[in-house]
Parts: sequence; C-alpha cells; structure tokens
Amino acid sequence: MVRSRRQPLGSVIAVNAVLVLAAAYFLLPLLWVVIAATKSPGDLFASFGLWFSDSPQALENLSRLFTQDGGIFGTWVLNSVLYSAVGAFVAMVLSAACGYAIAKYVFRGRETLFSVILGGVLVPATVIALPLYFLLNAAGLTGTYWAVLLPSMVSPFGVYLARIQANAAVPDEVIEAARIDGAGDLRIFGSIATRMMVPALVTIFLFQFVTIWNNYLLPLVMLNDTKTFPITLGLTLWNSQTQRDPMFYQLVVTGSAVSAILLVALMVSLQRFWKADLTAGATKG
Amino acid sequence: MSTTSDRTAAGRASAPPLPGPSGPSAPAAGRRGRTRRQSRAALWILILPFTVMFAAFFVAPIVFALVQSLFTVRSSGLGFGPPETAFVFLENYATALGSASFVASLGRLLLFSLIEVPLMVVTSLALALLLESGRARFPRFFRVLYFAPYGVPGVIAALLWGFLYIPATSPVLQGLDAIGLSLSPLSSGGVLFAIANIALWGFAGYNMFILIAALNAIPSELYEAARIDGASEWSVTWNIKLPLVRPSIILVTVFTIIGTLQLFVEPLVLRPLTTAISSDFTPNLAAYNQSFAQGNPNLAAAMAVIVALVGFVFSFGFLRLVNRKGNRAW
Amino acid sequence: MFGQRTRIPRLALAGTVTVGLVAALAACSSGGSSASGGSSTGGEPVEITFQSWVPNIDQAVDAFNASHDDIEVKLETITAGPDGGYAKMLSAVQAGNPADVVQLGYDAIPDFLINDALEDITEHVGDAEDDFVPWQWQTGVFNDKVYAVPQASGPLGQFYRKDIFDSLGLAYPTTWDEYYEAAKVIHASDPNKYITAFAFNQAPWLIGLSQQAGASWFTAEDDAWTVSIDDEATLKTAQFWQKLIDEGLVKIEADFSSEWNADIQNGNVATWISGSWADAILRGTAPDTAGKWAVGPMPQWNAGDSVSATWAGGSASAVLKGSDHPAEAAEFALWLNSDPESVNILTNVGAGWPAVADTSEITALQDAPEVFEFYGGQDIWDVFAESDKSVDTSWKWPPLSSTLFSSLTDNVKSAVDGGTPLADAFTKTQDDMVAALEDKGISVN
Repeated sequence: MVRSRRQPLGSVIAVNAVLVLAAAYFLLPLLWVVIAATKSPGDLFASFGLWFSDSPQALENLSRLFTQDGGIFGTWVLNSVLYSAVGAFVAMVLSAACGYAIAKYVFRGRETLFSVILGGVLVPATVIALPLYFLLNAAGLTGTYWAVLLPSMVSPFGVYLARIQANAAVPDEVIEAARIDGAGDLRIFGSIATRMMVPALVTIFLFQFVTIWNNYLLPLVMLNDTKTFPITLGLTLWNSQTQRDPMFYQLVVTGSAVSAILLVALMVSLQRFWKADLTAGATKG
Repeated sequence: MSTTSDRTAAGRASAPPLPGPSGPSAPAAGRRGRTRRQSRAALWILILPFTVMFAAFFVAPIVFALVQSLFTVRSSGLGFGPPETAFVFLENYATALGSASFVASLGRLLLFSLIEVPLMVVTSLALALLLESGRARFPRFFRVLYFAPYGVPGVIAALLWGFLYIPATSPVLQGLDAIGLSLSPLSSGGVLFAIANIALWGFAGYNMFILIAALNAIPSELYEAARIDGASEWSVTWNIKLPLVRPSIILVTVFTIIGTLQLFVEPLVLRPLTTAISSDFTPNLAAYNQSFAQGNPNLAAAMAVIVALVGFVFSFGFLRLVNRKGNRAW
Repeated sequence: MFGQRTRIPRLALAGTVTVGLVAALAACSSGGSSASGGSSTGGEPVEITFQSWVPNIDQAVDAFNASHDDIEVKLETITAGPDGGYAKMLSAVQAGNPADVVQLGYDAIPDFLINDALEDITEHVGDAEDDFVPWQWQTGVFNDKVYAVPQASGPLGQFYRKDIFDSLGLAYPTTWDEYYEAAKVIHASDPNKYITAFAFNQAPWLIGLSQQAGASWFTAEDDAWTVSIDDEATLKTAQFWQKLIDEGLVKIEADFSSEWNADIQNGNVATWISGSWADAILRGTAPDTAGKWAVGPMPQWNAGDSVSATWAGGSASAVLKGSDHPAEAAEFALWLNSDPESVNILTNVGAGWPAVADTSEITALQDAPEVFEFYGGQDIWDVFAESDKSVDTSWKWPPLSSTLFSSLTDNVKSAVDGGTPLADAFTKTQDDMVAALEDKGISVN
C-alpha cells in the first residue's frame, strides 16, 4: 500500500469506480432494511423501497419491537450475546490447548487425531444437529441454554488454527529454555505460549463468535421456549407469524434492521483485531 | 522481549494457515526424565477437554446418525397402534438414492457449487487485489464496508434479499424494470443465482480479508523490484502476487466448497416465495424436511450421511487435485 | 526474559471466568426449564406446560392462571407445527420429557396417534362432547377414545373488493362459472388486476377447494386406507384453475408474501377465499382499504347449492403421552377451548372460528363494529356461521398428513413452474402418498 509511484489517473478512476460500485452492492440490503424499519406497516410494501415514506415512524416501530411479547426481543439479543461470547471463549481455550499440544508434543496417534478433528470441519451442520438433538434429549438437556452452548464450545477449525500458529510462533527453543528455568509444561503453555499465540486466539474467538451468532439450525432444533431463543430464531419465529398477523412483518423488518446494525457495528469495531491477527507479528508484545 | 526474526515470523504467521504435517517442530526427543513424566500429564490436561467435547458433540452424533440410518419405524393396518422399529440395513440409502428428487437435489448442489465457487473466489480476489493495488482512495473504509455483511446471519440475509427479489418490494427490480430490464430472480432459471448472490454478499468480504492478509505478507521489495524492471501492473499481479497467495486462494476455495455443501438456510427462507424451490431443493433441506416435517429421522440420517460423504469426496478431491497439479500447497 | 512469572494467572483467570459464567448460566437454565415435581399435595399449584404457536394466546393462558389456584400453566411459544414444532413434540415424547398440552392441527392428530404420542383423555373430557360442533369434536376421537379437544377451525368464505366488483358492474359470483366470467372482466379492465392469487404454496387452500368440490381423499375401510387424491372432484377443480392459469386470469403468487400483501393493499388482487380468521389479516394488511371489502359464500359448482369447506380443518389441544399431570392438562385443554372467557379471547386474537356449538356467549362474534366497519357494515360472522354449518363433515385425515402437504405443495409448484397440467400434480401426489403410507407399513387398498 505504499504509494511509491505516480499512478496513472485513468486506472485510479477505474479502480475506485469499481470499489464504489462494490460498496453500493454490499450496502444495498442494509440500506433497504434501515429505511424499511422507519415505515408504517401499510407503507412497507406500498412505497418506494430506497426512500423514506411521508410519515416515518422509526421510534414507534422501535418501541413496538422492544415491547412486543413482553420485551422478548431484548432477551433474544442478550441470549445471542451470551451464546456467542461464552461459547466462543470456551472454544478458544479448548482448541488453543489441544492445537498447542498437537503441535508441540510427539505422541502416538497424533496425526490420526488431527485428521479426525480436521474431518470435523467438513461435516455439514445438518448431519450433527439432528442426531445431537436425540442424544441431548436423552440427557434431558434439550430446551436449556446448555443444548446450544455445549456444542458451540467445540471448534475443530480452532484446533487447526492453533496448531498452525503454535508451530509458526512458538519456537521450540523457548519451550526448552523455560523448562531449563524450571517452569512446568502447563505454566509454559498458559503464560508463554498463549501470549505468543494471541493472534490465533483472537481469530479463533471471533470466528467462533460469528459462527455461533449466525447459527440457526442448532437453536432451531434444540430450543422450545422463546425466552431462550437467539435473535436468528426469534426473528424467523415472528416471520412465520406473519401468516396470522401481518403486523409481524414490520416487527421482522425492524428487528432485522436492529440486529444487522448491531452486528455490523460489532464487525466494524472488531475488524481491527481480525486484521491484527492476520498481519501483526506473532511475537508482538 | 524476543524480537528475533520478527519479519519472518510475521510472514509465516500471517500466511493463511493450511492443514498438513507440522514438520519437525516437536520438542527434541532427548529430554530429561523429570520433565518427561510431567509432560505426559500436561499433554493429557491440554488435549483431553477438547477431545472429550469433540467426541461428545461431533463423533457421537455421527455414529448415532450412522446407526439410525440402518433402521426404520413401521406401523401396520390403519396405523393407529404403537409402531415398531426394524433393522433394514441399507434400505434407507437405497430409498434416498432411488428417489429422483433426492438425486436431483444432489445434482442441483453440484450445479450450485459450479456457480458459487468461481464467483466467490474471483470476486473476493478481485476486491483484495483492487484494494491492495495502491490505487484505492479509501482502502480501509472500503475494506470494513465489504466485510460488514459477514456479521449478518444467513437467515436474516435471506429475509432481506427475499424482499429485494420480489418486484413489489424491490427498488432494484423496479429500477431495472424502468429501463426495460425485467429480471425475476426467483424464477426456476434464476433461483440458483439468487441464492449464490446471498452467499456472495455475506462471505465475499470475509474471504477478501484472508486474501488481503496474504497479499500484505508478500515483502513489498519483491514487486517493487519487478516494477523497476518495467513490469506492468498486470504482470506483477499475474506473475508475483497470484502465485504467492496461492495457498490462500486454495483455502478460500475449500471454505467455499464446504459452505456450498451446507446450503440450507437460504432456500429454507426463500421457499415460500417461489415455485422454483421445493421441500427437497438441496440434500440438506431434504434431510431436514424428512426429519422435521415428515417424521422420518431414519431416512433423514441416511440422507445426511450421503451429503457428508459427498463433502469429503469434494474437499479431499480438490485438495488432491491442486497438490498434484502444482507444487505442494503447504 | 518472558516475564511469565507475572502472567501466570492468565489461564487460571480465564478458567475462573469460564466457571463463573457457566455457573450463572446453569442458574438461568434451571430457572428456565420446566419444573415437574409431581406433588399436588402441598399448597403448591401443579405446573403444566403448554406449547402453541398462536400469536397472543398468552392472554388466554393468563386468564386461566388468574382463575385457577391449583394449576399453573406455563406457555411455550414454539415454531408452528408443520415447520418443526410437531417433530420436536414427538421427540420429546420419545425421550420422556414432553410438554403437557400442545397445539395440534386436526390433520396432525392421526400422525401423533401412529407415533403413540397422545394420552387418552376420555375420562377427563368425554362428558363435554355436546358442547362442541360434532364434526370438530370427531376429529379428536378414534376408536371411541377422545384424544384431543377441538379449538377452532377455518370455515371458508370469499373476501372480495366490493368497490371493484361494483365499478365493473359485476354481480357477486355465486357459481364457479360466474367466477370465471368475473375473472375475465377484472383482468380485462386492467392488465395488472386479477380476481385472485393462485397460492401455489398453500396446500390447505388447495385441499379446501377440492373438498368443496366433493373430494374425499381418504377413507378407512377394513383396516386399510383408500386414497383417492386423483378423484373426479379433485381433477374437476384442477382443470378449472388450469383454465384460469392458462388464460392468465389469476396471479401466480404465494399468499402472505410481501408481494401478495402489496397486491391486497393496492387492489391488484380482488378476492381471497380464506378462513374466517383472515378478516384480521386483511384489516392489518390493508387498513387503507377499509369499507371497500365484503364477504360472500364460496362460489358453488351447482347453482343453488351451499357447500363449504375448511382451511385444512382446524386446530385442537391434546395431552401428550408421558405427561406427569394428564388430569390437570386435560382440564386446561377443555377450559381453554370451551370457557366463554377463553373462547372470546381466542376469537379476538384470530385463532379461528370457535369449535364450541353455542356461540351466543362469545361476545366477539355478536356485534363487532370495528370489524364490520371494514366490510362496509356487513355482519360477516353470519357468512362464516353459515359456512361452518355447510362443511362436508365426512373428510378424514390420514396419518402422514405432513407428507401430503409437502408433496402436494412441491408437485403443484413444479406443475406451475414447468407448465405441466395441474391435474398431474394431484395424480403425482396420489402416487407419493400411497408410497409413503406403504413405506410406513400402513395398509392401502
């Protein structure tokens, strides 16, 4: 990105024109939904989609959104945060430990274990979710927060990232030196290796966070009570109720707008870290 | 603070990670006995929690699905009486593969991959190259903007695009119609592209990020030197950048292949809106429908196993192909 | 040199945080999950769970809880049955932790019976038979045992834009022939206007139209089912709609879609044959068209007849097998669907036409000015009361009705999409349904 040479004006214009077009494409649905969220149910389908209607009622829609069914939407937002944050954090800890161990220890069946875990990345969610329902049902866990949380704590992709990062960023000499200093293996992992693996850890956390946040099938299969729903499931529930009460269309649209804004804000503020992960030095700090 | 070999470490760390043998990085064998015993204990502590969870929430359901796929539940007479479970071995697989609509859904999935994978890889690569070309005015701003849809859940993205695919609510279609271009994204000819577009919208920015990271990892002296030698921008891109980010392109491709095989949410949400999406439009949808609407989890399990097998064949087949064709990807 | 001594606690801290969160969660989840504890001896009320997807049905549950000290009903709003709700109920029965009372479509009751998932509640509610409309009550009765208490149904009527009909000089179509003629006039007046939307997505609608023509798809004889989805009445119906589709007189679009909503608002779709509950949908969707609508009986195949049908039956409350408190559950199911206070609430929230025989105490069905105003002052309840009486009651639901619905929808979609005859879609559904029943080991004649 070092602008070291003079750029031909024509190509600068062409490049930026393409980038602006792409920006319009990525923005379009978000723009539409934000505008739609300000409309009355009547105007929703009757007025031009990319401009505000004559009688905007954004506040009214918002207050309906947060008061409908006893303010359940707020609960859904909190649930989504809870599932994503807790699930991603535990997933990060578990996969960091496992990936590090696979990278730094020689043991029998190491490659087999790694291959099996990698295979887990390829298994479609539907294959897991449906049988998992029967298994967790037998354990009496379906319908509880655990039914969504526990499976979310497993990230095979995280193990794989952690292994790669441990190989790349944690030199064996450092481990040996720490051992000679008398540090135990767990202490070496907990205080030295993890610090060197920070970029991978952040990536694992964020990747899993978004995965859980976007997950639909698992909560759909596992949860019954609307009070335990994440946003995705809640909004589709409302969407299915448009068949009985068209007022729900406006709720779905406003809810989508709010959750999209929430997530985009999250992405924008977190993208710093994604970038940090992928470009910053492994031994930073 | 250890800052030795900062540059190379940075380069390696930022190169997109790919699977493979870890190389000779394991601790030297000749360790002292004291640490060895302690190491064993530590190894278990590090490795067990994940492995146990993995076994419980990945392996066990798969085994359960395999077992389930070998049984069926039958009634008799008018059906009003306790049903019986019977072992039928591979009959569910025969039923699935003998069903024209299920086989058609597998074919549709293949077709979808052929549309989606090149579209995704080319788009995200083009965006990455343009942003890193040095000609972009506000690269950081655009990068964040392209990345933003990644945070919008698939169901919500499908709901949004669903509105934009219907002439009555879509300003885009209305606009195109006004200039004489009449599109119907949800017709049977367009629906695969309509779904591909939703996936592209959501994930192109994320894949672009992976590729940008790889591009940033290329030491800039490399192409500065080429430029001084008079190489055109095209030739720098083609001869230096692309070969060096090849592993990342492969990673993005594999991710996209895996993603396309999971195709489920988008057709599920769009299904009520169009005649072009049936209840077994994709294999995953068929499995879901069998299990959740038709009460036949056994057949659903067989279908799911078939999808998983196809996924393994695709992904490993692709990796094998690229590894044989050129130098190893990792 | 790495400063590790000062940083040791990081992982430990992380662990503590995790444990803390997990503990907090456990508290949440145990608070949220249904407590069963089968003690009705103490002062504690018996707690039962009720799963339903009817919007705003919580009002009726609250009313029950307010008037009953001994039973506490906990409502779980779930995904609609055909969208996965039923599958979860059945799995919960298998796993031995079912909800006590559930919402079940009439069509789903046989499905639950073949899975052995319903509690026989004859001893608890059997005496209430006379309180309900006979055909609705019978949907929950098998081999003289009662398995469900009917809640509401959707007798069909035709909602139409009276202003459009009047402006075109059209009389109300009382027969399907007149309907066809009206369709031509409406479309000729404006190429964007259609008499109705052909709702390819809506199996219950297609079934209702066939049922009204006299189709009876399933009959049980001698321990075996006779399936006749391709009977004469059905094919006659299919050919009628084929004609309208071929001549471009109906708009092919999914009902309840955003496009359909827009068409209802701007008058591009002039009629809608639907259940009684549709009145609330129209009022909600198109408030600006108030006063322009009216309701009439379904067009007839033979002039002078008054045959009606339903939107795929209706909905009932059933007690799942394995409920810890079947008696209390049955008591709630009966109260919910027969107590005037509750039926009034249900009618108001749009659950449908009540299954109770005597609607004189249901204030919502007496005078409803805010409803009638939308229909130009017409007492639309008269139309539906009449329709409810004219429903052909011999219709029987088979097991695997979910297969019927999804197969019919898929086949009709593909006929419309591929331009193949609509009648073939019904013939294909016949084949699919017979194959599905036989696969399950159920006898078919």
